[in-house]
Amino acid sequence: MAMIKITIDGHPIEVEEGSYVLDAAKKLGIEIPTLCHYPHMVPYAACRICSVEARDGKGWTKIVTSCNYPAWDGLEISTDTPRVLNARRMNLEMLLSRCAPIPVLQKLARQLGIEKPRWGLGEDTCILCGMCVRVCDEVVGAHALEFSERGIFRKVATPFEEESGDCILCGACAKVCPTGHIVMEDIEQREIIHDEITLGPNAAISIPTRQAVPNVPVINTEYCIHFNTGGCKVCSMVCPKDCINYEDTEQYEDIKVGTIILATGFNAFDPSPLKQYGYGRYSNIITAEEFEMMNNASGPTGGKILLANNKEPHAVGIIHCVGSRDTNAHPYCSRVCCMYSLKLAHLIKERTEAEVYNFYIDMRTPGKGYEEFYERLSNEKVHFVRGRVAEVTDWAMTPEEEDRLVIRVEDTLIGMVRRIPVDMVVLSIGLEPHKDAEEVRRLFNISCSSDGWFLERHPKLGPVSTFTDGIFIAGACQGPKDIPDTVAQAGAAAAEAMVLVDKGVVELEPNTAYLTEEFCSGCKTCIPLCPFSALSFNVEKKISAINEALCKGCGTCVAACPSGALQQNLFDDEQIYEEIKGVLNYV
Amino acid sequence: MSDSSMTNNSFEPRIVAFFCNWCTYTAADLAGTSRMTYAPNARVVRLMCSGRLDPQFVLAALREGADGVLIGGCHPGDCHYQEGNYKALRRYKLLKMLLRKMGIDDKRVRLEWISASEGDRVQAVMNEIVEDIRKLGPLHLESWKYQGNLAAAQELSDAIKGVAYV
Amino acid sequence: MNAERISSPRDLDELRKRIINQRQENKTIITICAGTGCLACGCEPVASAFKTALQQSGLDKEVEVRTTGCHGFCERGPLVVIQPQGIFYQRTKPSDVKMIVERTIKKGELVDRLLYRDPQTNEVIVHEKDIPFYKRQMRLVFGKNGFMDPTSINDYIALGGYQALARALTAMQPEEIIDEVKKSGLRGRGGGGFPTGKKWASCRKAQGSPKYVICNADEGDPGAFMDRSLLEGNPHSVIEGMVIGAYAIGSNDGYVYVRNEYPLAVKNLSIAIKAAREHGLLGKDILGTGFGFDIEVSRGGGAFVCGESTALMASLEGRTGEPRAKYIHTVDAGLWNKPSNLNNVETWANVPLIIERGADWYAGIGTASSKGTKVFALTGKVNNTGLVEVPMGITLREILYGIGGGVPGNKKFKAVQTGGPSGGTLIVEREWQLDQKKAPQYKSIPKDEEAMSLIDLPVDFEELTRVGSMMGSGGMIVMDEDSCMVDVAKYFLNFLQEESCGKCLPCREGIRIMLKILTRISEGAGKTEDIALLEEMSRAIADTSLCDLGRSAPNPIMSTIRYFRSEYQAHIIDKRCPAGVCKELVSHAIDNNCNGCHACFKPCPTDAIIGTIRQLHTIDQDKCIQCGACYQICKFDAIRRVKRGEGGEIQRKAQEVWKPKTKTQPAAMA
Repeated sequence: MAMIKITIDGHPIEVEEGSYVLDAAKKLGIEIPTLCHYPHMVPYAACRICSVEARDGKGWTKIVTSCNYPAWDGLEISTDTPRVLNARRMNLEMLLSRCAPIPVLQKLARQLGIEKPRWGLGEDTCILCGMCVRVCDEVVGAHALEFSERGIFRKVATPFEEESGDCILCGACAKVCPTGHIVMEDIEQREIIHDEITLGPNAAISIPTRQAVPNVPVINTEYCIHFNTGGCKVCSMVCPKDCINYEDTEQYEDIKVGTIILATGFNAFDPSPLKQYGYGRYSNIITAEEFEMMNNASGPTGGKILLANNKEPHAVGIIHCVGSRDTNAHPYCSRVCCMYSLKLAHLIKERTEAEVYNFYIDMRTPGKGYEEFYERLSNEKVHFVRGRVAEVTDWAMTPEEEDRLVIRVEDTLIGMVRRIPVDMVVLSIGLEPHKDAEEVRRLFNISCSSDGWFLERHPKLGPVSTFTDGIFIAGACQGPKDIPDTVAQAGAAAAEAMVLVDKGVVELEPNTAYLTEEFCSGCKTCIPLCPFSALSFNVEKKISAINEALCKGCGTCVAACPSGALQQNLFDDEQIYEEIKGVLNYV
Repeated sequence: MSDSSMTNNSFEPRIVAFFCNWCTYTAADLAGTSRMTYAPNARVVRLMCSGRLDPQFVLAALREGADGVLIGGCHPGDCHYQEGNYKALRRYKLLKMLLRKMGIDDKRVRLEWISASEGDRVQAVMNEIVEDIRKLGPLHLESWKYQGNLAAAQELSDAIKGVAYV
Repeated sequence: MNAERISSPRDLDELRKRIINQRQENKTIITICAGTGCLACGCEPVASAFKTALQQSGLDKEVEVRTTGCHGFCERGPLVVIQPQGIFYQRTKPSDVKMIVERTIKKGELVDRLLYRDPQTNEVIVHEKDIPFYKRQMRLVFGKNGFMDPTSINDYIALGGYQALARALTAMQPEEIIDEVKKSGLRGRGGGGFPTGKKWASCRKAQGSPKYVICNADEGDPGAFMDRSLLEGNPHSVIEGMVIGAYAIGSNDGYVYVRNEYPLAVKNLSIAIKAAREHGLLGKDILGTGFGFDIEVSRGGGAFVCGESTALMASLEGRTGEPRAKYIHTVDAGLWNKPSNLNNVETWANVPLIIERGADWYAGIGTASSKGTKVFALTGKVNNTGLVEVPMGITLREILYGIGGGVPGNKKFKAVQTGGPSGGTLIVEREWQLDQKKAPQYKSIPKDEEAMSLIDLPVDFEELTRVGSMMGSGGMIVMDEDSCMVDVAKYFLNFLQEESCGKCLPCREGIRIMLKILTRISEGAGKTEDIALLEEMSRAIADTSLCDLGRSAPNPIMSTIRYFRSEYQAHIIDKRCPAGVCKELVSHAIDNNCNGCHACFKPCPTDAIIGTIRQLHTIDQDKCIQCGACYQICKFDAIRRVKRGEGGEIQRKAQEVWKPKTKTQPAAMA
């Protein structure tokens, strides 16, 4: 479109031909009031408040609405002549006669100098600006709202004034409504369902976590209006670099690497199979992870520790070793739970007035400052009960146990079985390998220990490398550990991986197979045996050939060769025979 | 002719163990570092993979005076070299047939899958096999009169090798 | 005659010759007006009575009964005109038919009773063309209406129809046609008065395809029925005009948007379209020229605002009929955002005349700025109501007196409203004026400056706009001294409030508030600043409304204030309605003109009339609801409409001076 010159209030400006006067005025910093204008939507021109006077310099003049008047070369606009101001004032007074004193209208009235509207004030909070209808139509694409009736009976409504099935509850109409006539209503008084708590707002487009790599926003297609109705796309309209790509999909990429570090982490133990703790049966029995979600300031409770009925607990019990040190679950100690249980106890003490009970078997507090922290908690009057919790029940036996959860535990230090009534139970769940750890380790050709953690090359001397060269492991996938240890191990794995990468060359196994060509009969027995395709048939020579770079040195082909033409370095038939002789001769 | 089943409790079997480097050998290592004790009767020959095991090695071991042979490899699917242990299994099955034909008690040769972390398994298997062989008594294969058959057995063994990869 | 496709202009000529040859020259044709007005008066029984009577007399082969479109003289329907003589029978009933057949058809004698008698000269006029109502008209657009059956394309062809189309498609280029229309000076007849040729040229030049040609038959003005009668009576003229226009502009798709309340128009139009298609005058390959154009009829949903071009196009597209800003013209982006040319029914009907007879001929009719004729719907307080087609520039006097035949009863003309709710009320007499000599209570009300009679105003686009009204679509409502101007303004504002689409603030809220103020004034609660307030509001509403409905909404108020300010002030200051219409400000009273005829007794809905025959009657002031029924019926001018509260005084005075109007004393009647 061609660039043309127009003047607004005497100020010249160059704009695209056909662009709207309101936008040009904005560029010049001239404010023209509006009531029904919204960026990224087609101008509606219903409120007429943005009226300005247009002239051609030759005597022609007309009052036009600046929001949708297309600019032409030589156009002169005046935004504040008496005629324009009178028209604006009159329109606003007429609107006020029907509408309640809503802030947006009062502000405009002040701007235009209306002190006492001539026809008084009305009661309607809808100014019929049409923004809700337009956003639902043009941007969201749900088409759930429309104007109905004509003239003075005009109003915004859903079809037949019934609850619309097309409404996708996006809240766009409430957001654009300038008067607050449309509000989002919470139609259910929900109770807190602890295991449904998620962190942060469920925005349709947001940076997933603060540490996300790359640190850019991602569209959550479940909540995004565009993926629901095909409309909106406001994000791509405002993005200055045009980065939004709605067609992006998951893609599989083949990346050639030299070394791999597996840092796949752990899975939190699900205490549901341990029926005695009542998880999933009673409300207010939550895992430590769920507790942390609730405790987070960006969660739904704003960081408050609340029971399902929105009240604060008077007593909280924290049960250690759930899923750890347990023959019915995992026999090993998960290493981190004691410390985080103490942390939770401390948090609860800080945030609420509740009594806190920690039920432990042994208090495992290695690490810097850990034991001191434990001391501190004892001084904070946290109750430490040494004993395994037998069960958590809601079956009350005394009046003070009514409507509460009761923890039945043997307190071994005083040698008594106790029933302790609490309002909330936090289960300190252990760490376990991911469900798919087996698949992952097969993929990388490494081993797992009996517990399912990835196997390191040597328990003492090779904590980050595996039996497969080039594959390293770090973090909780190798075994339960806390953050400082993980960080250390990660550094180690990175360093070792870098060594390989740095070297640039790979040492081949020395124990590869080799062929003595004279002995080879060309029977081809060996060729299909090699899983690494290191054997091939040389058609000219009519014998086998070995690719030494591919050979991993398993020796399978050697064992199969009828003529003994194939032999394995370091593991020749001769050598092994001698070895056998040797070990048996040693009496 | 069957071998003489002399039950002699003071008899200490001599067992050769062919262990694959990655799994069973490491497991034995683990058993060692974990201070697990087991019968010392086995002598370990390390192979890179149980697939390296030529059935002739077993026969050679028996010929040289072993009373039993233990073959140790990775669990199926876990072979460091993908499929070597499968081949070992096939060869082992055919070998057992051969031994029976030869009149050797096939319980003397045993294949076990032991993974790298199963140090306790090494201990268990070792103890077991020693007891089993002890019950069976010494083999004394070198004193067998059927030398001729041994040569035939060796020929048969070669034939097995050819079939092993099918 | 079976439908045969006409594939060239020569074919058309030959078809015409054949039709004419097949028809007897000078055959007696009984034309019966079958427009909606006459249908309502009962012309169908008349038509069937004719058919039966002719059959019975064995004359059904010699004499043709033809129902035609509207003749225009709606006041006198059902109309029967016997051709070729042109004998004009009015207010015909089925019972008259036999006599007509016996006397006029068979013997050539006249039935006096049914002939037209001029109410002013008392003269009996036999032939249609001599009747002043018709004589002073220039029936060009409506020229064929009385002679053809609208459902017969042969009638239209026989009368010369589609010749213009043949010429345009085969002997003229599109640009030539546009130039011809430009030269003729034809201006839009729908109300805007935009030069038609200029519009066509813009549409032709516009970028975009396909282009659309639309006929606006929404005719929403109250009291306007010109387009209806045209579509009912001669739909082919409109079709012909549209095809010519489409050819000139380069369009192949046409729409006629008819308001839903015109079923007969839709029916006749659809029949005409079908016949035209069958004859190859519409649809593919028109007249064998390769040019294709077809028309679809679309019906409105009952909204006055859909007469506005952008709202009409929205409605055609299936969206809500709401206007949009016309900063981008519809000729550039209209229907489905494509270049669209919208014209009124009457405008389209003018096109074949221009092409057939030439732009110079057309430009010779009318004034310098307004060429050709205009059809007006003359209604209200005038003797000859109906449709009149007059050349532009004719004076109001000629229309009201010459054609209209003056005011019925002893009343005086007061005002003429033109242009419907968007137009204005013009003062046409002075005598009604608040005579301050006669009514001293009006001394406080200043004289109207502008209240000079406009009876001699020449009627054309510019003149009407100059005096504060507009041509509009052609509605002309005549008012006499019994019409209250405040009430008239209120009526139109009420209409506009109902029909406003409600999209823009000034129209939706402004009309509502102005109506409230007017209602207050008419109820006696007016304030002195109200007139100034109305003027101020009108300026703002006219400036900022989105479409012409809102922009011209203040016109009724502004024009009535301009010419009848004193009447407003009478309402406000004096709390009095001089015309006696505004109920809260009026009392009905019987003065001593009453002669006891008892005619007002029955019509009174609240039994407020007290009186016995031949005695002075009185109106019970408490029961009276000011409906005015007694006023309408009293032939002796005895009912007075006075300021509220003064009725009792009048009736008391009447009681004192009243004497019976006959010499003899009345017999005592129960």
